[in-house]
Amino acid sequence: MIWVALHLPSLSLESFSATLAVPREGEAGAPPIALVDAHRISATNAAARSLGVKAGLKRATALALAPRIVLGQADTARDQRALLPVAHAALAFTPQVSMPHGHGDEADHTVLLEVQASLRYFGGLPRLLVRLADALKPLGHTVRIASAATAQGAAVLARIEPAPHCADLAATCRALHEVPVWLFGPGREHWEALQGMGLRKLGDLLGLPRSGLARRFGEGLLAEIDAALGRRPDPREPIVLAPMFESRLELFARADSTEQVLYGASVLLERLVAWLSAQHSFVRRFRLLMHHEGRWQESQRTPQATTLEIALADPSRDSAHLLVLLRERLAQLQLPAPTLELALQAEDIVKRAAPNQELFPTPQNENEGLTRLIERLQARLGADQVQRLTANEDHRPERASLLRAADAASRPGKAARASRSIAAVAKAQGRAGVASETRATGSARPVWLQPEPEPLVERNARPWYEGRVLRLLSGPERIEAGWWDDALAERDYFIAEASDGALVWIYRERLPLSGRGDGNDAGWFLHGRFG
Amino acid sequence: MGTSYASELLAQLVADPLHPALWLGHQLGRSGSQVVATGFAALDAQLPGGGWPRRVLSELLLLHPGIGEMRLLAPPLVAAQRAGRPVMLFDPPAALSATALAQLGFDVGELLVVNTRARVVPGSDSLWALEQALKSGHVGAVLAWLPPRLRAERLRRLQLAAHNHDGAAFVLREAAAAVRPTASPLRLGLRAGGADRLQVSVIKRRGPPLEQPLSLELPPVLSNAARRRAGTVVEPAVPLSAATFVNLA
Repeated sequence: MIWVALHLPSLSLESFSATLAVPREGEAGAPPIALVDAHRISATNAAARSLGVKAGLKRATALALAPRIVLGQADTARDQRALLPVAHAALAFTPQVSMPHGHGDEADHTVLLEVQASLRYFGGLPRLLVRLADALKPLGHTVRIASAATAQGAAVLARIEPAPHCADLAATCRALHEVPVWLFGPGREHWEALQGMGLRKLGDLLGLPRSGLARRFGEGLLAEIDAALGRRPDPREPIVLAPMFESRLELFARADSTEQVLYGASVLLERLVAWLSAQHSFVRRFRLLMHHEGRWQESQRTPQATTLEIALADPSRDSAHLLVLLRERLAQLQLPAPTLELALQAEDIVKRAAPNQELFPTPQNENEGLTRLIERLQARLGADQVQRLTANEDHRPERASLLRAADAASRPGKAARASRSIAAVAKAQGRAGVASETRATGSARPVWLQPEPEPLVERNARPWYEGRVLRLLSGPERIEAGWWDDALAERDYFIAEASDGALVWIYRERLPLSGRGDGNDAGWFLHGRFG
Repeated sequence: MGTSYASELLAQLVADPLHPALWLGHQLGRSGSQVVATGFAALDAQLPGGGWPRRVLSELLLLHPGIGEMRLLAPPLVAAQRAGRPVMLFDPPAALSATALAQLGFDVGELLVVNTRARVVPGSDSLWALEQALKSGHVGAVLAWLPPRLRAERLRRLQLAAHNHDGAAFVLREAAAAVRPTASPLRLGLRAGGADRLQVSVIKRRGPPLEQPLSLELPPVLSNAARRRAGTVVEPAVPLSAATFVNLA
């Protein structure tokens, strides 16, 4: 059995900074952050350390050194919520993932994986550890990874710096002999006593009689040491993946702008991606709930929470793409009040094998890329602004074409498209063959149609446009349609040449128009232009 | 002696240039990547590389839509559709007619039309949408009608985005933009040159300037009889009278 332990030494600080909605550590603009415990600083980030703030300083000293420092308190529930995605990310590598609990302190910030069965698939322990580190990078935690032959041993070894990797039990025992005693839970309580006796490392303890140790320091210490050294069975319960994803993030300060909400939402999206990768599936729909501040309610009807539901045309696991969609939809949303808490929920997932990474673009790749492009455009412009054109069976030219919102998900299959294009080519060729006939009968249609036919002035019994007479060249083509609904159209269409040589499509209404007091309406209208 | 050596060198350079991206002043440049055939032999002869360039935005400037620009641009767009790649239109100036596009050879169901003018705050979104489509690299051909009076740096940004786009990309702008320089390597001015004819003047290209505008014959909309009628009947020109001097004294 090979156990890998992931220890997160600064989990409390990182889970606190995730609620701040500011750039992450390492990026430009990251503020100094520190955790306070009983009026003393307990943890600091790199920006705070560079300003001189250290653990153990008093709160006032820290504020004097760094006036812009953000101080917060550790919260175990929040830490557990932040640790769960790490366990989920680890579940992609092995089903035996367990989280120790019960101590209620830093020893809890560890995730244990049993990877003996996965070594062959991943090609050896070093490669598996590299991939594990890559999978954990988007979550933004500093992780110390150690491996040993026992679970407890790995958990303890992950807390020393540098974390060793022990191949077998003998190496584990040797490494454990050098470990300081206070890393064991019960050892911490009796640390002063042990130090007074000169017992600093585990190796020192092991030389002493067991009954004496048990009497002075309790059975718990011995049990843990035995489990670490492999002398005692130590079964671990693997965690069970929740069927539905739900994660909350309480923001430290109320979020007034989209950017602040997006920082928090990106943290939640990374957790969603970790949960998805644990079960090798893709999400089809997810919901972002923004809970608002209570006392900003202007009226009773102001909702407490705003829900933003995002449905994907193509199930995906790409956090960058999900964030882009979320950003575009959030930009259009008007929030009634500042946001205090964010929650992300997802239950509609689809299990599929991950797509192979292709080196060269393939038709399937192109299809997926086009689907994502249409999704992005629709997210920002609105679903109705990206349209496809269809021909309608109606002789009236203004109703002969329909624009319908494009459905990013459904695209005609390749075979259908190929057959359609062949048919279109044949039709075009056929049409070209009888072009002279069709032109003579005037069934040429202009590419551009005016949304509303523009009335033309008539002088000397000829239509005038833009102050110049239009010369009728071809026609008339009579279109009579629409007797079955209100828009009766009885028109004679002509192709005319405008002053600059462009061809326009005009028509004359056959029936006399009634109800228009204008003297000039002889019924000439401009309907289209030949593009 | 010296001049003959210089002329030999020149002849050699003309025949075998140093680099495909270099050309002499009187030569037509070569397009870096492959070109898309225009479908008009006279136009092919005047464009560097022999066709519409890829991975750049070609600008077409016209006074108003409806002078034959769709018939001019149909061959490269239809070729992109036949190759199985999508064609996107951005902000067409008027309603499109599906039958007319089918007559030009398009596969109407596969066209994507993006309207950005319906937004409450228009302007920035049309350029954003075009940039996204160009950068994605999955679109076969792009035809965009840009808002008037664009700033030069916006167009430059679009040109940079077009590097990712393997195909022809056309932007149609107002004719008044001809006097303002842009970063586009190919700029054509379009005017109607009579019935079913299009007058193309090359404003900018990688090569010597073209003095005479080209007159291209477009796929006809009129029948032969109608075209003859258009050609023969001449509108009587209104005679201009000489300026009269009115003595107001």
